[in-house]
Amino acid sequence: MFSQYFGQYLLNEKYLTAEQLKISLDYKKSVRLKLGVLAINAGYMNAKQAMQVHEMQAKIDKRFGELAVEASYLKEEQVEELLSSQKFGHLLLAQAIIDKEYMSLEKFEAAIVEYKNKYNISDSQFEALQRDDVDEIINIYVDLKEDKYASEIKNYIGLFMRNIIRFIDSEVYTNNVAKVVEYKTKWVVSQRIKNSINLLTYINAEEEVFVKFASRYAGEELASNDEMAKDSVGEFLNLNNGLYLVGMSNMGIELDMEPQSVSFEKTISSAYVLPIELPFGKIELILSHL
Amino acid sequence: MTENSLKILVCDDSMLIRKKLKEVLKSCGCNNVSEAANGQEAVDKYKDSKPDLVFMDIIMPFKNGIEAVKEIIGFDSDAKVVMASSAGTKEHVKEAIKAGAFEFVQKPWEVEQINKILNNLK
Repeated sequence: MFSQYFGQYLLNEKYLTAEQLKISLDYKKSVRLKLGVLAINAGYMNAKQAMQVHEMQAKIDKRFGELAVEASYLKEEQVEELLSSQKFGHLLLAQAIIDKEYMSLEKFEAAIVEYKNKYNISDSQFEALQRDDVDEIINIYVDLKEDKYASEIKNYIGLFMRNIIRFIDSEVYTNNVAKVVEYKTKWVVSQRIKNSINLLTYINAEEEVFVKFASRYAGEELASNDEMAKDSVGEFLNLNNGLYLVGMSNMGIELDMEPQSVSFEKTISSAYVLPIELPFGKIELILSHL
Repeated sequence: MTENSLKILVCDDSMLIRKKLKEVLKSCGCNNVSEAANGQEAVDKYKDSKPDLVFMDIIMPFKNGIEAVKEIIGFDSDAKVVMASSAGTKEHVKEAIKAGAFEFVQKPWEVEQINKILNNLK
């Protein structure tokens, strides 16, 4: 995930062309392995156990390694070992860029320093970014200025991004969040979270991307924006919000939610719009707290 | 999986969830499965066909799962209703059990859970 952010930076600063970035990210994608695959490869887990942990992730917002330890499939030191072999995604990006002679090693190193300065990233934060720590990534890249609910909204966005990674695609990154007074959507699913926190949550996309998103979640190819496609995107939002409610309930805050609904060209007032880039197009997470 | 004669009603406002659950039930040998898209439909279908087991979502339009299970239990105190929600909060679990649900499961469903529930019925 961090590679996408850093890759965009290299593109924006004209260190790379769009084509060079695409080739480099494709290369990186071909060599980066998920923790479950690494665990199976190392002989620490079997495929059935890995599948069970993936299923558990649909119900509990925890990392693969954490759940595998809780289920006694992995020991903590094994998780550490596997993570250390997984974490340097940006180094694979560097390797691709340098191998293809798009940038020299020195120039790449200088770009990293420049990047850390620009975003005011400390060494420990950079370490977290390299591990693709979603919460840290959201903390650095999603600027909610002075919003009094900034921490709750960032928690929500962090959970949403983890679910995108789990159920839709791991090659994802966010663009700058915008605060809007009024916003007209395309195809949008919405769901209200209520009680002590009132939050209206939306997933918005152009029809083609909406259908592709729906297909990914349903696990089957959907050809058009039919009832099943709308239902699938709605269920993704419902699953995400359900997990948010469980997390809040565990912290002693009991929330509830209403059934989700689908609309076209809806006007939303006073909201944050977070563009989320996926390999098949852009969706927007829209949040409005009342 | 050997076929069984269980009559099952699946109630969820999501077409996708109903489809996936029916597939899982079929893989467990249950072929007599009917569907309802909200709580009211589930109550009506229950009264019509008295299924052996009901899988019931909580958050639904028109009539939610908690209200529906109360009505079903009011009609048939032996009804076996499994409540399901993607929001398995303590409050929802309490409400479901209080309403008379036989079991509470956090969605999405897993084949092993369904098998366990079916075995508990036998």
